[in-house]
Amino acid sequence: MLEVIELRYRHKGAVTLEYQYDLEVAAGEIACLTGKSGSGKSTCLDLIAGFLEPHSGRVRVDGKDILALAPESRPLTILFQKDNLFEHLSAAQNVALGMNTSLKLTEAEGREVQKVLDGVGLLPLAGQRAGLLSGGEQQRVALARCLVRKRPVLLLDEPFGALDADTRADMITLVREIVSRQSLIALMVTHDFDECEQTADRHYELGNGRVERLK
Amino acid sequence: MQFRRVAAPEPGWWKAPGLSNTENAGLPSGGVRLAGNSSSLRKTSWVVWGGIAASLGLVALAAGMFLSMWTAGQGRGAADLDIAAIWATLWFTLFQAGASTLLSVALGLTAAWSISHLRFPGRHQLIALLSISMVLPTLVVVLGLITVLGRQGWLNQLFGAAGSAGIGVAIYGLGGILTAHVFMNAPFAARLLLQRLDGVPVEKLKLGRSLGLSPWQRFRFIEWPALASSLPGLCSTIFLLCFTSFAVVLTLGGSPRFNTLEVAIYEAIKLEFDIQHAVAISLVQLAVCGFFVVSASMFRSQDRSLAIRAERFSWPEPAILRRLQSAFIFIFALAYLAPLLAVVVDGLAADLAGLLAQRVFVRALITSFMLATLASIVTLAIALLISRARQRLTSPLHTRQTRWVSILSSMMTVSGTIYLAIPSLVMALGFFLIARRLASDVYVFAPLALLLANVLMALPFALAILYPAVQKAGLKHDRLASSLGLSGFARWRLVDFPAIRAEVGFVSALSFCFSFGDLGVISVFGNRDFSTLPWVLYQKMGSYRTTDAAGIALILLVTTFLVFTLVPWCYREKRDA
Repeated sequence: MLEVIELRYRHKGAVTLEYQYDLEVAAGEIACLTGKSGSGKSTCLDLIAGFLEPHSGRVRVDGKDILALAPESRPLTILFQKDNLFEHLSAAQNVALGMNTSLKLTEAEGREVQKVLDGVGLLPLAGQRAGLLSGGEQQRVALARCLVRKRPVLLLDEPFGALDADTRADMITLVREIVSRQSLIALMVTHDFDECEQTADRHYELGNGRVERLK
Repeated sequence: MQFRRVAAPEPGWWKAPGLSNTENAGLPSGGVRLAGNSSSLRKTSWVVWGGIAASLGLVALAAGMFLSMWTAGQGRGAADLDIAAIWATLWFTLFQAGASTLLSVALGLTAAWSISHLRFPGRHQLIALLSISMVLPTLVVVLGLITVLGRQGWLNQLFGAAGSAGIGVAIYGLGGILTAHVFMNAPFAARLLLQRLDGVPVEKLKLGRSLGLSPWQRFRFIEWPALASSLPGLCSTIFLLCFTSFAVVLTLGGSPRFNTLEVAIYEAIKLEFDIQHAVAISLVQLAVCGFFVVSASMFRSQDRSLAIRAERFSWPEPAILRRLQSAFIFIFALAYLAPLLAVVVDGLAADLAGLLAQRVFVRALITSFMLATLASIVTLAIALLISRARQRLTSPLHTRQTRWVSILSSMMTVSGTIYLAIPSLVMALGFFLIARRLASDVYVFAPLALLLANVLMALPFALAILYPAVQKAGLKHDRLASSLGLSGFARWRLVDFPAIRAEVGFVSALSFCFSFGDLGVISVFGNRDFSTLPWVLYQKMGSYRTTDAAGIALILLVTTFLVFTLVPWCYREKRDA
């Protein structure tokens, strides 16, 4: 279970904005956080992932507070809308980075990479340079890297925003299947209500800096 | 060649308010576009014809220079030339340019990497100062370096006060040439590479931090790929700048052993009066420069997005690394700022009022200002004309894409970049030979030759900056402007200029500064009656009138600084308002 409890953040820009996030996501569930552009959806993910420091509040995963942990040590992994891959590396190397950042894999780790790539239907393209893959294939490779990290929480920052309708439908099916099969805790932010309807088990709406549960 | 134009509507069909009949004929008619309406072609495509004429003129001028040199070089066979000496000069020119490039890029890359990782007070100011390095007058840099690193320089005095032997006179010879080249090019490399690093998408940084990449892995997976595409083009550009360097080698070379081809051309014209020898060296110089210009254009990075990342992303690094980065930035900034500070300190101590009483100085000051202003205006006009013409030629909305159009578009590209391959001394020799054919006193043409040379030297940079902006504005606004019937001056005022005003401001400042600080062509055409500030500064340095030289250097530095910062700022300010 992911619990975000009274997590407050103050954004100082031309106008100071204040946000407070309260939400829960259970294992095997996908929760969607929707809101207008600039409403603070991605800020919520950045706070949970450790890219931003909250003013106050708690973030717990299976009862343990994770706010004191460095981003790389948090029990989570993240998928962005774009720029998820290092274009000069192959698809397999991008996935392998999730296991070992020096890219020196054991035989078993190498087999795991192949298996996960097979799981997202991209084994034939394992040796292909990431920059040469289509948008949908790139997102699948990034998803595969999220999976090999074996972290309980999957954060999705508008992951299907850059995909065409057919590829998006395929990706939604794939993510739902993986979250359910591996009992992951998934929190997705999107501005697209239809996408949320197709994907989410829970639906939170962000407005005026506060979170409200709709479903 | 056929230009595609909007079909004229039936007479009396409708008349746009405020437009004449001929202007009305330029309006779209239900989205149908037909070719071959000659009256509308004449009316609306003067920009294209003007651009073609300007490009042809540039190509013809380059051809004229080459032919004059070729003809002048016919009189003497290869056996009469000192081939061994030319080879030796060529090898030294290649060696110093290669070494300068390696050192500049290595130091620039380290500086860019360090600055991109740290936030510190004065960071923005330092980055702005790095940009100015590309327009600093070379002689001002040389004078500053001599004040800091010369025999009686600050560094030797500092070592002397500490009881140490000091660094001697390392500022002359190969060491001095490399130091000056690195001083001028490492900040330029740092500024360009910093833009690349700041252009890395924040998602990549978040991803890297989430994966727990080490500093080395961060460089290897995220930063190096962003830099790598720029390096070949950057290295080629810096190599070319150092290969054609003139003022640095002339003042700091100190011995014929350290002559480059540019200085050899100057000596052949001015000291040995051996035009055929100068022509032979110029042809070698042209061949090598041509090779490197073609190489540089092949290496040009495809990714032209140099947007600075708006979002700040914090990625803490080990304390030891931060300390190393801080130390490097401090030393880099100190090495960059100390010679400039030395120019200011010495200049303020100079007798500026006494300088104003010198007729030679006042005449040179007025000539420099007039020439630089004129050069800036002419460069901007030609660059805008060629850019807009090329944009219209390559746009299917305006022109039917035929083989002729493609050839003309290529000619426009070549006409701009061709002058990158013609160094200032070669250009000076070309003008000298053309002037000699036209009049007995070549110095009658000195002002025109200097103006033309300054325009031609700034033009490749002006086109490289303006054309992408004009093309982007065209892609964005062409259809809407067409549908509204906006054309001519109204379109320029309301649509095109607001979209490219920042680039116009930058090009104006850049071409002014290039012209204001140039010592290339004036070294051939300069005499008692006609001189510019850099030429007077060179003469003062040569006659050891150091106080006067310091005063002139300060004026050159302050003017360059003010123009390069204020002119673009004025343009940007109005756009943001």
